[in-house]
Amino acid sequence: MHLDDIRRRFARTGTLLVVGSLLVTACSGAASPTPAPSAAPSAAPSAAPSTAATPATTATPVAGGCASAATTPITLMEWDQEVREGIGPVIDQLNSEFMAANPGVTIVRQAKSFDDLKATVKLALADPNGPDVAQVNQGRPDMGAAVQAGLLLPLTSYATTYGWDKRWGAGVLARNSFSDDGKQFGTGSLYGVSITGEIVGLFYNKDKYQQLGLTIPKTFGEFEQQLATIKSKGEVPIAFGALDGDALQIYGSILETMVTPQWLNDWIYGRNNQSFNTTETKAAAAELVKLSDDGDFTKGYAGIGYDDSAKLFEAGKGVYFWTGSWEGATLTGAAGEKFGFIRVPPQTAGGTSLSIGGVGLPWSIRKTAKNPDCAAAYLDFLTSDHAMQLVAKLGVLPGHSAPNATGSSALFNEMAAAFADANSKDEVGHYLDWAFPTGWDTFKAQLAKLLAKQASPDQFVQPIDKEYQTFTASLK
Amino acid sequence: MSAPARPGEPRPIAAPGPAVAPTRRRAGRLSRAGVRFGREAPPVSFGRIVGGYAVLGLMAVISLFPVVTIFLTGLKTDADLMNGFFSLPTVWHWENFSKAWDQGHFGSFFVNSVIVVVPVVAISLVLSTLAGFGFARWQFRGSGVLFFLLLLGLMVPFEGVIIPLYYYMKAVGLLNTYWALILPQIGMSVAFGTFWMRAFFRSAEPELLDAAAVDGANPLQALWRVMLPLAGPALVTLGVLFFAWTWNEFLLALVLVSDMSVRTLPVGLGFFVGQHAADVTLLAAAASIVCAPIIVVFVVFQRNFIRGMVSGAIKG
Amino acid sequence: MRRPGERAWWPYAFVAPALIVYVVFIFLPVLDTIRYSFTRWDGLTAPVPVGLDNYARALADPIFLQSLGDNVAFAFWFCLLPIAIGLLITSLIARSGLPGAWLFRTAAFLPYVLSLVVVGVVWRWIYSPAFGPLNQLLTAVGLDSLARPWLGDFDFALPAVGLAGTWVEYGFVTILMIAGVQKIDEQLYEVARLDGASSWQQFLHVTLPGLRNEITVALVFTLIASFRIFDLIFVLTKGGPGNQTSVLSFFVYKSAFQYNQPGYAAAMAVILTAIILTISIVVIRWREREGAGG
Repeated sequence: MHLDDIRRRFARTGTLLVVGSLLVTACSGAASPTPAPSAAPSAAPSAAPSTAATPATTATPVAGGCASAATTPITLMEWDQEVREGIGPVIDQLNSEFMAANPGVTIVRQAKSFDDLKATVKLALADPNGPDVAQVNQGRPDMGAAVQAGLLLPLTSYATTYGWDKRWGAGVLARNSFSDDGKQFGTGSLYGVSITGEIVGLFYNKDKYQQLGLTIPKTFGEFEQQLATIKSKGEVPIAFGALDGDALQIYGSILETMVTPQWLNDWIYGRNNQSFNTTETKAAAAELVKLSDDGDFTKGYAGIGYDDSAKLFEAGKGVYFWTGSWEGATLTGAAGEKFGFIRVPPQTAGGTSLSIGGVGLPWSIRKTAKNPDCAAAYLDFLTSDHAMQLVAKLGVLPGHSAPNATGSSALFNEMAAAFADANSKDEVGHYLDWAFPTGWDTFKAQLAKLLAKQASPDQFVQPIDKEYQTFTASLK
Repeated sequence: MSAPARPGEPRPIAAPGPAVAPTRRRAGRLSRAGVRFGREAPPVSFGRIVGGYAVLGLMAVISLFPVVTIFLTGLKTDADLMNGFFSLPTVWHWENFSKAWDQGHFGSFFVNSVIVVVPVVAISLVLSTLAGFGFARWQFRGSGVLFFLLLLGLMVPFEGVIIPLYYYMKAVGLLNTYWALILPQIGMSVAFGTFWMRAFFRSAEPELLDAAAVDGANPLQALWRVMLPLAGPALVTLGVLFFAWTWNEFLLALVLVSDMSVRTLPVGLGFFVGQHAADVTLLAAAASIVCAPIIVVFVVFQRNFIRGMVSGAIKG
Repeated sequence: MRRPGERAWWPYAFVAPALIVYVVFIFLPVLDTIRYSFTRWDGLTAPVPVGLDNYARALADPIFLQSLGDNVAFAFWFCLLPIAIGLLITSLIARSGLPGAWLFRTAAFLPYVLSLVVVGVVWRWIYSPAFGPLNQLLTAVGLDSLARPWLGDFDFALPAVGLAGTWVEYGFVTILMIAGVQKIDEQLYEVARLDGASSWQQFLHVTLPGLRNEITVALVFTLIASFRIFDLIFVLTKGGPGNQTSVLSFFVYKSAFQYNQPGYAAAMAVILTAIILTISIVVIRWREREGAGG
């Protein structure tokens, strides 16, 4: 009897399990899931400042590009990495405005983190079911590789149609350009357009400035002296965490106060056989090590992640935070007017000094997109003056100047001023990892070795140069 | 003891047997409390007992401590963090969990994980039982080779299959679908599962099968009516293992599924870590969410699961 | 052995479904990996056969060699150390068995069933110099000279990651051993004691051989768990600092899917698979020979 009971129980649970799983498989596995339109996961949790205050220009319905949607509906899937507090809601708003102005068009949004997008976007663009429009990072590792693999649509004809060459200067457009075989960078066809602007510099804590009696440093030397003063008063000079690879921004900033624009452009774009093994690169490396040795960074920075270091800065555990303007929206939201922004000061008073920056991650169209015209119209809308106004309102630097594109916080105004200053003097530099496909990983690894005294400045630059030379040689 | 190894066949490494009571047993209070003794245990000093508890206690604390603290961290605010980790949260912020749920889209990831895990576990259990029984019951042509093939599958690391799997899925259009996650994981599970169930069936009494055959039952009926009821603990152990391995699968999901609407929990958590806007407290809450189901499953089945794993090591 | 009246195809019917799924999704891909390893390929255009080029390149690639070395190092932390700890604890507790042990067993088993991503999140936080408990604890007891930036430290990153792995495995291995040791015939210990064997010798000659099965099972399960080290590395260090914690699975993933070199990645995967399979076969054969006596 006992055995029968067990058997019966097993029969019941067993059948339940098998039937249940078959049902689940049938219902779910039947078709690959199509994401529900407009229920797309939107990212930022905090209440975005309402943009009910209507901007000067309203969304203009875009003719031509998506006109065919009136008869056959078009769905555009877009992937972006605007998950930070500032611009996520802007994308949502722009998307709904575009959909409203173009009946028949549905935009499906997937917002992922920067790392996530970086890791998955190339695979996704190669997948026939992947996104039509996606943010692809500038530079050899991502956009260059994607163009070489034939994944992206050249946008030059659209640039002429929509007047994008008027919207941005040639220097900016060059950053998003590659030759069609992907071998030449900084020239050739346009492959992406950017919504935001970026500049890497120093966020500073205004309260601490007051407390410690500091003023804006005019030269790099002054800056270093300040750090010593701050340290002597028992405060942390620079909030910093190197675990996620952000030493690159600091190193790059220092280097770009020392080099000429010609050298930098040549090196980044792979022209004229430049070497990375120069006096300046090694001097910048030595300077970085000096900052670390002098104790100017957060204690234990090698094991601290980027978010943690940002949290430390917000909590006042650091007078400076050396990173890009993308952090601005978060800092505005967090503590109001407590923070300011300055460019990294030049080596000599009034001298030429580049600041890393440019435009934010560009948006590209997949080569095999079914509705490229509509996608291009969408991109045009995303980078319109109207969009710039929305972006600025939320404390993020807009990608190009536009009427009434002003922000509301002091921090934003300082960032915008710094950005305008760099642009007007033609002193906008590049992110170093753009130069070759393994750029990000190589720099991250080498910088870690440099800071851990596992490599001297000489030993630091040599592997980087070797990777670079191997790569440029392969392009010939 | 299981039957002597047939020529050319690898000896099973672990064979979970049906729970068999040792022939001689002290029926004292301690035994009824679940403590097992050998034939004659040496007298145990009080110091030994206290020492034993201390060691076991320390072990338990070390194992549980990180998990408990991550849960507690999920309840703090950023301000609490600055107080140093030893402080308990001032207010228990349960809303961190719902915030993590929303911001990290864990709702849809959770559903996706369930959609993947249920078929994998159910189908793998069925296939492993069938195949394990087949290998145990019969010596058929090629069984040695085939079984060895399966054994190799146990030892193949992911790296060995992930690249072609990606291109294969892409070619048949299954990238970014649930099937991309379900099918390969069934393949991986049955390798181990067949091995496990075969060992179990081999340790079972052949007379039961003979009796069933005399009754006129075909092998399927023999399996269903006779062997299966005895296989309870072995199946529970296997099921929990399958559940854990599948629920926690990361690399496969990372490569084969980049679409957020199909993504499973561990990948969701993995990228939540790298998100530049992530709070430490939110991250802690998210981690707690991800491991809650497996903890629940484990706790529910722990008695049988642990017994199955342990007794699996006895027979050999 | 066929029972009277059975059809010949029964066995095949039973094993076929499992085998088919396994062959299609595991075995054939392994063959494919071998095939790709002999080509230069970017994953999109047609592959170009290059013979053993990829293998030569791998063996000369410092990152590949470093990753292989790291894999070996992690084998210590994931498999050997937990077993050593298990044996140590077992020898301390010694055959006494304790009531209420199920509570401890459940607690000790728990880390093993957690996702390594969760384990990574937990330990990333523990090791954080900014907010984590480890450095705060060290400072609180006056040992702050020992406080380091663990995951960013060139010397300690690998042990730090390894320790997380040990934490996952040691509990369940210990329980396995404790249960196993209770099954050892007490008479064997009597005999050893009468022969004048010290505790250490008793351990060596009675306990250790008696736990042979448990040790093998522990090795199998810890080895299977160690395949998932990718998850841990992804969350904790992404292979850094430098390449100190680069494991082969991570390098293979990056080469195949980030640098668009699946051919090269396949060659590395084949090398790793071959190594693991060789070790497994050796171990199985050794067990067979050892166990032949019963």
